[in-house]
Amino acid sequence: MDLPRLEVLGLIVLPLIGAVLVAAAGARRREEVRWIGLGTALVSLVLSMHLAAQFMHIERTPADAKRLTFQPHFVPGSPGTFRDPGVGLDRTDQHGTSWTLLDLGQGAVQFYVGLDGLNIWLVVLTAVLSVSAVLISWNVIEERVNEFYAWLLALQTAMMGIFLAFDIVLFYVFFEFSLVPLFFLIGIWGGPERRHAAGKFFIYTIAGSLIALLGLISIVLACKSGNELTFSIPRLVELVQQRVAFSAEERAYWTAVPSFGEIVRVWLGRLRPEEAPERWGGVMFWVFIALSAGFAVKVPLIPLHTWLPLAHVEAPTAGSVLLAGVLLKVGAYGFLRLCVPLAPDASLAVGLPLINMLAAIGIIYGALCSYAQDDIKKLVAYSSVSHLGMCMLGLFALNAAGLAGGLMQMINHGLSTGALFLLVGMLYERYHTRKISDYGGMSTRLPLLGAFMVFVCLTSVGLPGLNGFIGEALILFGSFEQQYVTSQQFPWFALAGAAGMVLGAWYLFTMLQRVFFGELKEPVVVGHHSHEPIRDLNPRELCAIVPIMVLCLVIGVYPQPMLDTIRPDLETVSRIVDKAREREVERAQRQAPVDLAAKRQEEQP
Amino acid sequence: MNHPPLAPSIASQLAGVFDLAWPETLLVLVACVLFLGATFRSNRHFWGGIALAALVLAGGLLWSTVQQRPVRPPDGVLPLSFDAFAVFIKVVALVGGVVLVLFSWDEVSDALAAEYYACLLIIIAGLMLTGAANDLVVLFLALELISIPTYVILYLQRTDRAAQEAAVKYFLLSVFSTAILLFGFSYLYGLSGTTNLVSMVDALTHTAETDAGRLPLLPVLALVALVMVVAGLGFKITAVPFHFYAPDVYEGTSLTSAALLAFVPKVAGFVSFFRLLDFILPQRGPTPGLALGAQATILFWILATMTMTVGNILALLQDNLKRLLAYSSVAHAGYMLIGLAVAPKLAGQDVVGGVEAILFYLVSYGAMTIGAFAVLAYLSTPEHPVDTVDDLAGISRSHPGIALLMALFLFSLIGMPMTAGFLGKFFLFFGALAVPVDQARLFYGLVLIGALNAAVGAWYYLRIIAAMYLRTPIRPIEKPRAWPNLVALWICASLTLGLGIYPQPLVKATRTAVGGTANQVSQREGENVLPAVAAND
Repeated sequence: MDLPRLEVLGLIVLPLIGAVLVAAAGARRREEVRWIGLGTALVSLVLSMHLAAQFMHIERTPADAKRLTFQPHFVPGSPGTFRDPGVGLDRTDQHGTSWTLLDLGQGAVQFYVGLDGLNIWLVVLTAVLSVSAVLISWNVIEERVNEFYAWLLALQTAMMGIFLAFDIVLFYVFFEFSLVPLFFLIGIWGGPERRHAAGKFFIYTIAGSLIALLGLISIVLACKSGNELTFSIPRLVELVQQRVAFSAEERAYWTAVPSFGEIVRVWLGRLRPEEAPERWGGVMFWVFIALSAGFAVKVPLIPLHTWLPLAHVEAPTAGSVLLAGVLLKVGAYGFLRLCVPLAPDASLAVGLPLINMLAAIGIIYGALCSYAQDDIKKLVAYSSVSHLGMCMLGLFALNAAGLAGGLMQMINHGLSTGALFLLVGMLYERYHTRKISDYGGMSTRLPLLGAFMVFVCLTSVGLPGLNGFIGEALILFGSFEQQYVTSQQFPWFALAGAAGMVLGAWYLFTMLQRVFFGELKEPVVVGHHSHEPIRDLNPRELCAIVPIMVLCLVIGVYPQPMLDTIRPDLETVSRIVDKAREREVERAQRQAPVDLAAKRQEEQP
Repeated sequence: MNHPPLAPSIASQLAGVFDLAWPETLLVLVACVLFLGATFRSNRHFWGGIALAALVLAGGLLWSTVQQRPVRPPDGVLPLSFDAFAVFIKVVALVGGVVLVLFSWDEVSDALAAEYYACLLIIIAGLMLTGAANDLVVLFLALELISIPTYVILYLQRTDRAAQEAAVKYFLLSVFSTAILLFGFSYLYGLSGTTNLVSMVDALTHTAETDAGRLPLLPVLALVALVMVVAGLGFKITAVPFHFYAPDVYEGTSLTSAALLAFVPKVAGFVSFFRLLDFILPQRGPTPGLALGAQATILFWILATMTMTVGNILALLQDNLKRLLAYSSVAHAGYMLIGLAVAPKLAGQDVVGGVEAILFYLVSYGAMTIGAFAVLAYLSTPEHPVDTVDDLAGISRSHPGIALLMALFLFSLIGMPMTAGFLGKFFLFFGALAVPVDQARLFYGLVLIGALNAAVGAWYYLRIIAAMYLRTPIRPIEKPRAWPNLVALWICASLTLGLGIYPQPLVKATRTAVGGTANQVSQREGENVLPAVAAND
């Protein structure tokens, strides 16, 4: 096995080994435990950087420009072989590996991991934030230190696994496994309401993800044919495209989407599904609904977001950083990797209006809630609702610009909100309060922290020249293009996004003004650190925060390499959606040929 | 009705039967020795060692039988079968027996040890026979071989009022359900004219062709038989509405007996279902005969929905751990019933079928539930029994290893990935969603209800985990280490985790077990049912 494949494997396995080592080290050896944790996180960071560097140098083949499915690189155990039942010969499996986990006869669940344009930067993001999470917890966590770092590293494994997985069951396994470490991180080392927060977080997410599991199984079974049963995501995406192109009946079976009115009428009993089978039974519709249920909780989209502020506020700083920085992206990533490619027609017909609307409401609602908070952490938590709404707005513009913006926003939000939580954590470590009204003029007291906070707020707001701007601008382009140019409606969604940006500046700068500027108002320090004088950032904290800020700046000034790496795979997704658009037009023509003919006559007087 | 040709060579044909039952015979013989020996010596280590040795020896006998005789499908003559399915159940029973003996090692008193282990051995023998039964009478006797020693065990370990209530309740309801089951059996016999299961299925599937015009009531009689059998066996698997005894009995008995009750009757009940309900598989032949595929599916659909919903919702209200685990066992029976509802629709399909899924689930359920009870037993002392969720508060600080194992079992019961519980649910859902499209809508609903139930179930298991990890200890628990219990715990834990990460061996075994019955179907009908095993090789 060559080096990059080993490195991909290392990204998943190393943190797990680190977790076991740390857990075995015992609660007494605090220093060793911390250093093992840091070492593991650093090695992962180096691996991910090295992989990203290699990935950027991969030559694109002309075939890439026509692909309708994903093509992961650096797959351990690849190429896999399988016995072709038709010919009776061994064939190379383009969409699989030789590492089989569970053989079900016709198909197998495989340990199929790899890198492509969609996940490479998310993997790097995870590695960067993990290092910061370890550093920020250095002195804060003093109880059950080894358990803490064990769960933290286990969480890193789960997050890496989610992003790297190209097998649908493997994806789900990591997706759901990520709940366990986070449950303990919030529940044991969290704030006063930690037990409630941990439980709520767990139940919300597991309820959604169990429904998503049904969707995943359904799509696997719907793609099952004759002797083939596959769990590989690229193969499934390819199969869906083949099936839909196969025949008109097959297309109707897959793509039929009931209108909202029809759903309500069926629900009320006014319409029997049997009366309109070709409009009711579409596989994609149900798969989309099921997968959305799981991922929307994770994003979180607006009516399902109530677990988030609680979990964020109660979690220890490291937990908040990873939760906001990485785990919220898992929902959006799920939409991008699974929901849209596997159910493109339903994403267009249902997802586009529904999710965009929820996202737009979320942007405004999150921003207003954010402004109303007196707790800095809660403010940042609600700002995540708003920013993730932006991200979903971009993804569900379902065009090249919007998708690119959505993916960039995932990474940028991970960096800037991760940094915000880090800084809030550092402030809390010093004064043990997070109430905005307790603070005032802190930048005279802590000039470095204040300056960093200003910088991070600017990235989060989307100042041109910093990373936030790139993603948000692309999202607004995409959303505007979709609604105004493609659908020829008033661009409400882009407007909501723009309003969100303005509101974001409003609440973040208000917070900055109250906490860091104005008259000095230092909270009374309580707690066990009270005998030490309050100092500005120490080297350890600088190590945690500075790399993130450097990345923010680099991405903001020169985003082109990053956009270039993600473009081919995003184009794959947008090609899939374009095919669905064509089908939608065709469906509309078939259903209302007369109207269209009349319209055409009107247009040509 | 076509009777199988029995009369001339009945003696010569039955001669070989005992060869098939050597392990069970050995267990029962050792049990007799234990009953007698109890009068001479009371030492739990001694008798426990003998019971363990007997189980291992029975395993050896089983192994040598498998080596000598080819595994073959049940025929229309012998009352016992020796197919892959029977071997699978026997192995499960023996492993379960070993775990239960180890688990009980320090839980039974010296004075009662011999009787306790004797009863346990008979129960295991009964379970093994249930798996092999190919005759209504043998099946009934095997089930009684499980029930009657269970009454004794329930009364043996505790004699306080709660235990008396539990034993009496279990006894009366069990006898009642047995009567109902027997009533159903009598209808089956009346319909088919034979007690041999293979002949019975043959007769039932061919009856309607010739007699449908003459005897229009036959399907109704078959329906009565079906309902009675389901009611009788529903008691054993704690299906709602036959579950009422479970919480009271679990609470009123010792932890070992509760673990036994949660595992053995459930396996026995589901195994009997598989053996008996062959007759409802509608895809069998060109004519359905008296097959009740459609009706049985609806019946199991309703039963599954009620069982998991009631089990989970009532478990939410419990503070007592035994009651909580009792309702949890009800809920898990509900999940497994999904497989039973699906099984008739999936016959002949080569993805994960309902029966394989249930077999996988039974093994993983056994490991995690016995494991959870074993943890409670490990932490309990006679003065301070671990009764309520609060008693487990802060265990992670005082017993980190044990808390981790308990968390593993509970996460598995929730169905988290990388544990056996996840794959059990995954296979059940997979099977239910694999139903051919024309009948699928019914099952989409069932699976959705199952998924929501699993989410509800997560809450009460999570409460226990939260108590162990997120709370501070209320009182210290001091107990000397009980090594046999620890070994039992480790067996359960390694099964739970091992099957969660590398399930291939068990999946293969379940497919072979069920593939055996699929082959026998194809042999009988002369049609080519797709053999799942062949595709696997």
